Amino acid sequence: MITFSSVSKRYANGYEALKGISLTIENGEIVVVTGHSGAGKSTLLRLAAGIEFASTGNVLVNNQNLAQLKETGISVLRQNLGLVFQDHKLLFDRNVFGNAALPLEIAGFTRIEIGKRVRAALDKVGLLNREKADLVSLSGGEQQRLCIARAIVNRPSILIADEPTGNLDQAYAATILDLFRSFNQVGVTILLSTHDGSGLEHLKCRRVELEHGVIVR
Amino acid sequence: MNATLNAHMQAIARAVGRMRAQPLATCLSIAVIAIAILLPLGLYVLFDNVVNAASQLNTEPNVNVYLELATSDQEAKDIEKKLRAHSNSAQVTFVPREAALADMRKRANLSDLLADIDTNPLPHAFSIKLRSFEMSILEAMRKDTLSIPKVETVTMDFEWAKQLTRFARFIEHLVMLLGGLLGAAVLFVVGNTIRLQMLTQKDEIVVARLIGAPRRFVLRPFLYFGALQGALAGLLAVAATLGIGLWVGGEVNAFVASYGGNFFTQGPSFQQSLSVITVAGIMGWLGALISVSMYWRQIETSR
Repeated sequence: MITFSSVSKRYANGYEALKGISLTIENGEIVVVTGHSGAGKSTLLRLAAGIEFASTGNVLVNNQNLAQLKETGISVLRQNLGLVFQDHKLLFDRNVFGNAALPLEIAGFTRIEIGKRVRAALDKVGLLNREKADLVSLSGGEQQRLCIARAIVNRPSILIADEPTGNLDQAYAATILDLFRSFNQVGVTILLSTHDGSGLEHLKCRRVELEHGVIVR
Repeated sequence: MNATLNAHMQAIARAVGRMRAQPLATCLSIAVIAIAILLPLGLYVLFDNVVNAASQLNTEPNVNVYLELATSDQEAKDIEKKLRAHSNSAQVTFVPREAALADMRKRANLSDLLADIDTNPLPHAFSIKLRSFEMSILEAMRKDTLSIPKVETVTMDFEWAKQLTRFARFIEHLVMLLGGLLGAAVLFVVGNTIRLQMLTQKDEIVVARLIGAPRRFVLRPFLYFGALQGALAGLLAVAATLGIGLWVGGEVNAFVASYGGNFFTQGPSFQQSLSVITVAGIMGWLGALISVSMYWRQIETSR
């Protein structure tokens, strides 16, 4: 469960990205945050992932107040979240397998276990036959799917995805949303953001609309 | 326990992987560090060999003890026992006054002079070989010997001993100074290598931190890299010192043999080699630690 209680976020340059947000995301729920560019969607997701911290108010993830966690606690929290970034944040000096394996290396899994789990994750996103491929040979959609594979390889209970369908055509976007639906069916809580909300018709989810840092719907 | 061990093994594997990914740069860095270690190590080994050679060339300062002329043979034997019992005496040789006179008579330029002398003017004497040449011990020994009844004079080759001690201290200080300076050079070389690595690995560090890598996961491979680089450079320096020793050893041995010495040049011992490799590894680790501490904040703020 993720809870935002009267959360505001003001950056060092004085820009206020979020203003008094209160929002609860229950376990097993899919919540889609929509809004125009600059509405505060990414900031909201980064707060939930403990990448940034609220200026005022509290963010609780699985009943842990992120502001009270120390550095180690934040690392452990992030290891238990699946994070999909808008710009993918893939490593081009590693191949497909190496990128998907990174969270497991961090968690200290053995090589054998890493091999099993990475192949299972790549299979889920349809990249099993490309495990040795270099990233430059992947299309935008494949890179996005790899980013999702990396997010799920640790079998997280919460998946946070920032604009996962942002730069994809409709067909690819539908595939990605299908993936999220399948993860949700096995109990994964999903918080994702999208700027236009198109293609969400078939996704059974709760929509939250942000405008200038405030929830408007 | 297994997880911790596994994490360390993975960190070492990643450090080795980074070395193998840039073999030329790694080899050059190791060579530079090895040269920095080679200078003080070579000087130390040279000094060690010179001291070893000097000791074998039978040039130790003897202590000569001269007794009063009226000392009887029995009294001389009693004094000999006391001299032998001294903790700094390695060997005591009695020179009876008759033998000393006979020896003098053998020398061509003195035989005429001694022919006119009726009585033996020479006293009983002792020549003592020493265990230690420490100035403080020599001074104490001189006092102890002079306090024995019937001992008239004690002579020691103090100047030679003093010069040897001064030279030894100078070389020791020089080795320490060079060791310190070149130790700092090792820190800089390793630190710079790690800084460049951190910059090239910046994306991986940032992504790893974003998806939950604790600080130790990111830093460990850099620390192991520094330690490995230092240890390998230490190994190379030891190997080079042994190689140089073998190369010049033949000539040096021949030179010392011409002065009657039976000397064999030696490189660093196994224990010394192990110490050099360990210290170099620690210096490498320290250089890496300093470097990652300096650049960590810079990378963290770029997330």
